[in-house]
Amino acid sequence: MMQKQDDGGDKKITMKINNQEYNMVIKPHWTLREVIHDKLGLTGTKEMCDKGACGSCTVIADGRPILSCMKLAIECEGQEIETVENLEVTGNPLVEAYANNHAMQCGYCTPGFVMTAKALLDRNSNPNVENIKDALEGNICRCGTYPAHIGAVLEAAKKLEGGKK
Amino acid sequence: MDKKKLGIMEIEPLVHDRYCQDEFSLIGKRGVSRMCGKEKAGGRAEYTRDVQLPGMLYCRILPSPYAHARIKSMSTEKAEALPGVRAVLRYDDPELADKPLFGLETKFNAGHLPSDGQAFYHGKEELAVTLEQWKQGAGRVLDGVAWWEGHPVGAAVAADTPELAEEALSLIDIEWEELPMILNPLDALKPGAPLVAAEINSKNNIIRKLKIEHGDVEKGFKEADKVIKFEGRRRPYTVADAEPMSDVVLWRGDNVEIWAHQQQAYDGKIIFGMKMGIPLNRIKLHVPYQGSQFGGGGNPMMHHTHGVHIISGLLSKRTNRPVKTFYNRRDNFYNLSQDADCHTTFKVGFKNDGTITAVKIDNICGKMGQYGIDHLEENTRIPNLLLNYLETNINVAPAYWFRCEQNHNALCLSMVFDHVAVELGMDPTLVALKNDGVEGHDMEYLSKFKRQHGFPDRDSLGEAIELGRKAIDWDKKWHEPGTKVLPNGKLHGMGFTWTHEWDDTRGTACAGVIMHCDGTVDILSQKSDDGLNAMTTHCQIVAEEMGLKLEDVNFRFFEEVGFQMMTPDGSCNLAVDAYCTRNAAREAKQKLLEYATTPIKLIDITYPPAFPDNYPDDLDVNDSVVYLKADPSINVPVAEVVKRATLNQGGTRAPLFAWNWHRQGRYGTEKGRHRLTRQAYFCEVEVDPGTGGVEVKKIVNINDVGKAISPETCEGQQYGGDYMGAGRALGEEMIYDPKTGVKLNANLIDYKVFTMRDVDTTVNLLLETGMGYGPYGLNGIGECIATVVPGVIGAAIYNAIGEWVDDHPMTPDKVLKAISKAKAKRGGLK
Repeated sequence: MMQKQDDGGDKKITMKINNQEYNMVIKPHWTLREVIHDKLGLTGTKEMCDKGACGSCTVIADGRPILSCMKLAIECEGQEIETVENLEVTGNPLVEAYANNHAMQCGYCTPGFVMTAKALLDRNSNPNVENIKDALEGNICRCGTYPAHIGAVLEAAKKLEGGKK
Repeated sequence: MDKKKLGIMEIEPLVHDRYCQDEFSLIGKRGVSRMCGKEKAGGRAEYTRDVQLPGMLYCRILPSPYAHARIKSMSTEKAEALPGVRAVLRYDDPELADKPLFGLETKFNAGHLPSDGQAFYHGKEELAVTLEQWKQGAGRVLDGVAWWEGHPVGAAVAADTPELAEEALSLIDIEWEELPMILNPLDALKPGAPLVAAEINSKNNIIRKLKIEHGDVEKGFKEADKVIKFEGRRRPYTVADAEPMSDVVLWRGDNVEIWAHQQQAYDGKIIFGMKMGIPLNRIKLHVPYQGSQFGGGGNPMMHHTHGVHIISGLLSKRTNRPVKTFYNRRDNFYNLSQDADCHTTFKVGFKNDGTITAVKIDNICGKMGQYGIDHLEENTRIPNLLLNYLETNINVAPAYWFRCEQNHNALCLSMVFDHVAVELGMDPTLVALKNDGVEGHDMEYLSKFKRQHGFPDRDSLGEAIELGRKAIDWDKKWHEPGTKVLPNGKLHGMGFTWTHEWDDTRGTACAGVIMHCDGTVDILSQKSDDGLNAMTTHCQIVAEEMGLKLEDVNFRFFEEVGFQMMTPDGSCNLAVDAYCTRNAAREAKQKLLEYATTPIKLIDITYPPAFPDNYPDDLDVNDSVVYLKADPSINVPVAEVVKRATLNQGGTRAPLFAWNWHRQGRYGTEKGRHRLTRQAYFCEVEVDPGTGGVEVKKIVNINDVGKAISPETCEGQQYGGDYMGAGRALGEEMIYDPKTGVKLNANLIDYKVFTMRDVDTTVNLLLETGMGYGPYGLNGIGECIATVVPGVIGAAIYNAIGEWVDDHPMTPDKVLKAISKAKAKRGGLK
């Protein structure tokens, strides 16, 4: 159930999103996804299930992938959040690798996959197929693009590794 | 413009595309990156859900808490008094007095209409209700009566925030009259059953009867060596699409703007205009990316397609602000595409050599379900077929196309063939080959037809089966039912099924191609991007035909300009629509060559063309460069040729523009327009005898697509369909509380959409026989796989356990029961 508007008043909060500081006044019942998508206009963080079941709203908070629809924004005070929009800005090879491998169809769930994959590559720059499946198995894609994600993540990992040399 | 010379097909829906070049530089090539890919993966792609306009209000519609109830009285005063609520639309408001959901009288349809010359197949159809009543079957935009739990009824609220709109709904006081409800089609037919929608039919719960008869089944049963009877059921499942439905409407004076999450958004615009009395040239339509559709988003008579536009529109008109009506995830489960509960009784006669002599199918389906004889009719030489179809009204939302309307057809064909093969102890691939044919005719007849109409004559099914057998190692792995236990204790099963390839080359489309003064091209047509890679594939075709670089072509489908494509980004993505883009591209190229050779004479100056001493036929275009065929070293970039086109100052040329309209027959399958290509599926499963759990180890898809424009896209449809099909086969089902009719799993936790772990391996093989009716000899693929895969998994489960489940989804409890039955029959599994 939606909470009412008058349940505890507005809260001031500071968050770092995509390396930029945001000082915001928010309602205590707003989820992180609502703040990112509706208030800041970073619409890559999608709403699909709104129940923490599908992974479409995945963002990276303090280095860990989280479901932003299950996180209240007030819990994120002082955190560093990364959304999918940051990947092209920082030249992360995942975006291009996803396009090359046709690892999307309608594309609605894709940013969630990409962010989950990004978190995987942040902690394991040379994943094997099982590692990728372990990381992405919590994301739902109704179009069934699953097999293509493996190639996309492997391609991005290879590019990242190449960049290190 | 000599169209014949340009190789532009005349409209002749039975003829093979004979203007197909032999070699391609872009079409059919692997490694073409997806043009929408970076936008989607980078989070920049805008979906309707993402649209936010200044001053936008948020609208929620009241979902009925009851499966069947009538509003006795309703007070919206408290809701209207809530600060931030800007308007409340009531079901009894005068604007809604005449707003049934069904409005496009000239609509195409997929067999849901009585025989008005448009019906899908030529059966004898009988409506148990009047046509007018039947059209009311989807209800009104907002009604005072609810026919299913979640039915949008009573009131819609527009408020400053989504939370306020939600809160306002909870402040609406309604006195309901609860009415008896029925969920199962069989219960709806019982004598004395309560009426589930007396407003439509006050006598009984029957909506529609259909009888399709070919030959004489009684004669066929007499000719058979063996006759079997069995039953099957496919329980209701739903689309569970990615993007929850929403739309945005901005009504300003005489003009309206719509942002639509809709597969056939242009139809939505037409209906909106008709219902609201707004001329179409006053309605501006935007079609952002679509977070999946799978067909139902094309339905012009569903609430989530045009019903919401009307609600948003009326509220926008009242408030002078843009209004976004949005469904939550649960609403999507209430009202979006789903497949009807369908009970089927089969009677099949066949000879000992596998020749099927007669099939009788009795279907009893829920509201707007589908019958299951068409594939047997269109795809086999079986001479005697009889279908009795009964469509009942029940208290669930109407079914509608969900990848696709032929789910039940495909399942019925699978069940018939696999049962026959098992009864005879025959290899099911041989039974398929034995009966392959078309509309009761054998393959010799079909070969003659192909040759007469200019098609290649290849044995599509034979080739598909051969590829599949090798890919899955069929000869080594297929075995007697219930005889193979693996070292891990699981029961091993192999399955096979087949049907025709989707020949959805029907309907009409039009598109324009315009070149800008820098030599880049836009394709203009309304097309909803649901994920079929339409942007890339149509751009490949235009670039190929015009000799341009792929990056110089764009598909501008987000803004509707009057052109619309057939089932936009659905069944006919290329099979019909690519005729338009291809033909327009050819005309545009001809115009380009005329530009390149024609001087422009003014009073005091003459602008020479790029090639002053040549004729158009002397030139060609490659890689966005116009060159002299006799000496390619003499060349001029396309951008240079058209630099004076369309400039508003100093421009000396008309816009380089061409458009094309194409019709592929009428909408609906026409008898005699035979299906020529085939698809085959092989599957390997492991069944846990302790839990009844089924693991899909491997699915092999072989699809004859005629010609693959983008092989990766075709493969995407194959493995994507595998996951959806496996989900339908094993887990997806809408569960209703039998006492209240309330959905118990209307969320993505309890409704199981298959994930990356749920199918081990998919093998995706494309056959390209060139035998499609579409341009380049192609036909569709997107609908095939999810539709046919449940049948092949059913066959594999039988092969594993030695007993039919035939009740989809084949959940562990049902599989366990079947295992017990098999054990009882055989005194234990071998």
